[in-house]
Order: sequence, then C-alpha cells, then structure tokens
Amino acid sequence: MKKIGILLLFFLIVGFKDSYELFFVPANWPKPLYDFSKNKITSQKVLLGKTLFYDPALSANNTISCANCHSQYSAFTHVDHALSHGIRDSIGTRNSPALMNLAWQKLFMWDGAINNLDMQALAPIAHPAEMSSNINDVVNKLNQKKMYRALFYNAFGDSVATGERTLKAFAQFLLTIISANSKYDKVIRKEEKFNDQEKNGYQLFKKNCASCHKEPLFTTNNFANNGLKQDTILKDDGRYKITKLPSDSLKFKIPTLRNIEFTYPYMHDGRFKKLSEVLDHYIGNISPSKTLAAELRAPIVLTSNEKVDLTTFLLTLTDKDFLFDKKFSYAGFK
Amino acid sequence: MVISQTNKKLSLCFDPVFGKNDPVLTDSVYFMDDKSPIKFETLKFYISGVQLFMNTELVWREKESFHLCGTDSDNKKIHLSIPASLEFTRLTFNLGIDSLTNVSGALGGDLDPTKGMYWTWQSGYINFKLEGKSEKCKDPKKEFQFHLGGYSGPNKSLQTISLNSVYKKEIEIKVDLKQFVNSIDLSKQHHIMSLGQAAVILSQAAAKCFSTQ
Repeated sequence: MKKIGILLLFFLIVGFKDSYELFFVPANWPKPLYDFSKNKITSQKVLLGKTLFYDPALSANNTISCANCHSQYSAFTHVDHALSHGIRDSIGTRNSPALMNLAWQKLFMWDGAINNLDMQALAPIAHPAEMSSNINDVVNKLNQKKMYRALFYNAFGDSVATGERTLKAFAQFLLTIISANSKYDKVIRKEEKFNDQEKNGYQLFKKNCASCHKEPLFTTNNFANNGLKQDTILKDDGRYKITKLPSDSLKFKIPTLRNIEFTYPYMHDGRFKKLSEVLDHYIGNISPSKTLAAELRAPIVLTSNEKVDLTTFLLTLTDKDFLFDKKFSYAGFK
Repeated sequence: MVISQTNKKLSLCFDPVFGKNDPVLTDSVYFMDDKSPIKFETLKFYISGVQLFMNTELVWREKESFHLCGTDSDNKKIHLSIPASLEFTRLTFNLGIDSLTNVSGALGGDLDPTKGMYWTWQSGYINFKLEGKSEKCKDPKKEFQFHLGGYSGPNKSLQTISLNSVYKKEIEIKVDLKQFVNSIDLSKQHHIMSLGQAAVILSQAAAKCFSTQ
C-alpha cells in the first residue's frame, strides 16, 4: 500500500508538472494585483494547494471540503443554493461566490472582509456554519498525515506544515483558476464571431452594464448598492459591517459576470434563481436608498427582445474549457 | 567571533504585573480598586519596530522586528544585539502590527496565523489580547475577552510606546494589568472581538500600562 501511495504521488507530481502552465496573464488583461514576489508559483505548491482544496480534513468533523461549496462545474460556487450550507447542514448567511481570476482581486468576500488572497481560507475554515475548525487544528492534522509530509517537503523543502505554508499553497492553487477562454474571449481575440443577437446584446451590455461589470474581468472590483431591498431576516448591511462607514451601507462586491450561466442563484443572498429575474430587477425593481449606485438612479430601459439579446451575450461568457478542465478537478488527481 | 567583540546583548523583559510589583500568574486571584476579584487566563501582545534613541536622535532600529509576547515564560523576553559602543537614553516600540504588514498576506514565525493572533472573519492581526474572569462581567461564564486590533483609518489601534532607559543588559518593562482593567467598567464592557472605536480607546489604555519604573 505504502509503495503504491508513493508511486501515485510520483506520477501525480510528474504528470501535474508537465500538464499545465501554472499561471498566465491572458492577452489584453491588466496586471495582476496579487504580489507574486512573496509567493512564487511552483507546481509543487499548486499541487499542495489543490490537495487542501479537496480535503474534508479541513473541517472539524472531516466532512466538508472547500469544493463542497465551490464546485468546479458551477465555476466554483455552490450551485442551486441561495445560502450555502456547511458542516452538519448549517446554513450560512450569504451565497458562496464563484472563484476565478482571483489574482486580479484585492479584497475578497461579498463585503471585502479579507485583504489578501493568502488569508481567505482562514475564514471558511473557522466559520461555525462552514468548516467550524481553526487553522491550528488543520495544521496539526496535516502534520500527522504522511501524504502531507511529502507534499510539504516537495513544496517547501521541509516536511513540516505551518500556517504560513498552508495558506500560501492554498493561494497558489486559487491563483491558477483562470477563466479566459469563453466565446467572448475568442471573439475579442478574433478567433470567432458573435452572431447578430450576441452582437446586439454586447452593445446593450456596454451601454447598460459595463460601467460596473467592466471588461475584461467583468467587474471593477468595487463595492456597490445595486438597489436590492434589504432582506428583513438576514439584515445584511454588506461592506458597512467592515468599514463602519455609513456611505458603505448596503454595498456588496460587484461580482464578475464570467460563467454567469452556471453560477446561479444570483446576488449576495442568492435571491434570484434565473438570469431573467436579475434583468427584471435592474429594469423595474430598483429599491431607492442613500447609497444606491449612481448608475442605477435613472431607470434602465430594455424591450423584451433586447432582454433576450442581452442574455444571449451573457451566455457567451461561459468558458467550458474552464468548467471542465481536469487540472482544477478532483478527478485530475487520478 | 568578531560579532561578540563589536556587539553587546540587550534584552527587553516584559513583566505582566498587577499593581506595582505583584507578578501576574494565570492561576492567581487579584483584587481591583473596588475590591472585586479578578483572574487572568491569557495575555498576548505584539511588540514591533523596536528603536533606540540618544535624546531625540535615532541611533538604532531592529530590522524585521516582530515579537509575540505575553504571560508564557518563553515569550517574555526579546533578545537584541546592538553595537558594543552604542549608548541610548530612550527606547520606543509599537504595541501591535503596522498596516503594511497587515495586508502582506501569510507570514511566518511570530506572525504565523496559528499563533492565535489573527482574525479569521475579517483580515488583520490582533495587537493585544487579554482574557480572564470577573464576577462583574454580565456573561454566563463571567468571562472577559479583549481582542484589540484594527489597522487602517479611524480604526487603527497600533500604539507607539516611548520609555526612558539607558543601556542595561536587561531592561525590565512592566505591564500593569491593574491599571488596564481599572480603566474599564467590566459590568458594561467585557467583550471586544472586532475593530472600531472601542478597540482604539482600549488600545490607548493598554499602551499606558507599559513602564520602565
């Protein structure tokens, strides 16, 4: 058994190394915001990070891994769940965000509570409704497992797991999750062409949506109040909770629209199941308040045909290569 | 060997005390000014950016200066090595972690998040942590927990402490917890776990408890 394990690990590392470009900046994209000088990408660290991402040992009772609420085929979000559920079926208070292109983000979570990708994993590991553990217990567990001793040794030249090493390896895997090969990207690269409906949808998108969902990342990474009526039970103030500035009340991070076809339900609390509900919200259901985004103060007007065209464009942001790429998947281990 | 000839050792010893001289032990009971009993279970704090001054002139600073200190016997002392001929009249250090370090991602050593001094739900180091028990606390277990942090804007809780001292092999710095807890009405405030104005005020109170007298 031991020999097979070692052999498997060997193939895993060798196979992994040859199979993919670890990190790249897609053509015409801005400079990444992550500081790679402090965490140089290596295949061994990415492999360790990926192993951690799929390991339920991170949760208090070894039942929940990151992938439970961030599954690849839904662009690393929790498909079909408005509010994500974690350990012992606990329900959280927000919709788990889709994960992609994280090197181009500076603040994480719907409210920007996390200031560096390295530190992101600490939050779900410790949250009582998610993994209900803590980084000390996780590091202790890892240090007791032979498999991790080898993974840490290959990654850091030392078999001991520490908080710093665990978090850096985690960040490395997350940095490699890049989605930049949708039909939209191919059109921009002049490899494909939009049909008439998509073309019209793209124009409508540029006119009505692009100031917040800015190309090519389809977000400005800013926080905005998009006119959702505050849920009376959750009473979520968004970014205000972090900055305590009244001007941040009801503001949430502007999410990317990439792979939006598969990241339903939508919004921070997952209140909309369908894209058509999202469009209807922006067209006619904006709830006014002091912090409402300036862009939404005047109504957005779309005919029903235009709604269809805009939706058709949004579907060109689906990146099937990304959604099914084995290098990100659990199956990719085998 | 050259180093031993040109450098001398300087230790900063942080001694938690209750009142003037009563050392703080985690299993002892102490009495506040109003005679109510109080126990301490955890005291941890970061000391960073140690600098030495000759009158007003900066004469030495420690590079990569981050130290986790507290009641555990192995983290009471900071060991420094300074030029043998160096004299000074004053030392300064920060109580807490600066804002740049707070946004620099995962760090090791005393800054490793496994040290229990990093918030999980909102990024940032806890600069000062004091936990214990008092009958005055309106908490089911009569516990108080002060986790003080916050690194930016009006929530910045980092404090710079300046103390007069000339060179000694070991400089003893007392941390008077009596002064700290007497500045708080424990019947109204026993629990701070996030940044904000209350954390800033208590951080200022904590900084005043450090003395070389």
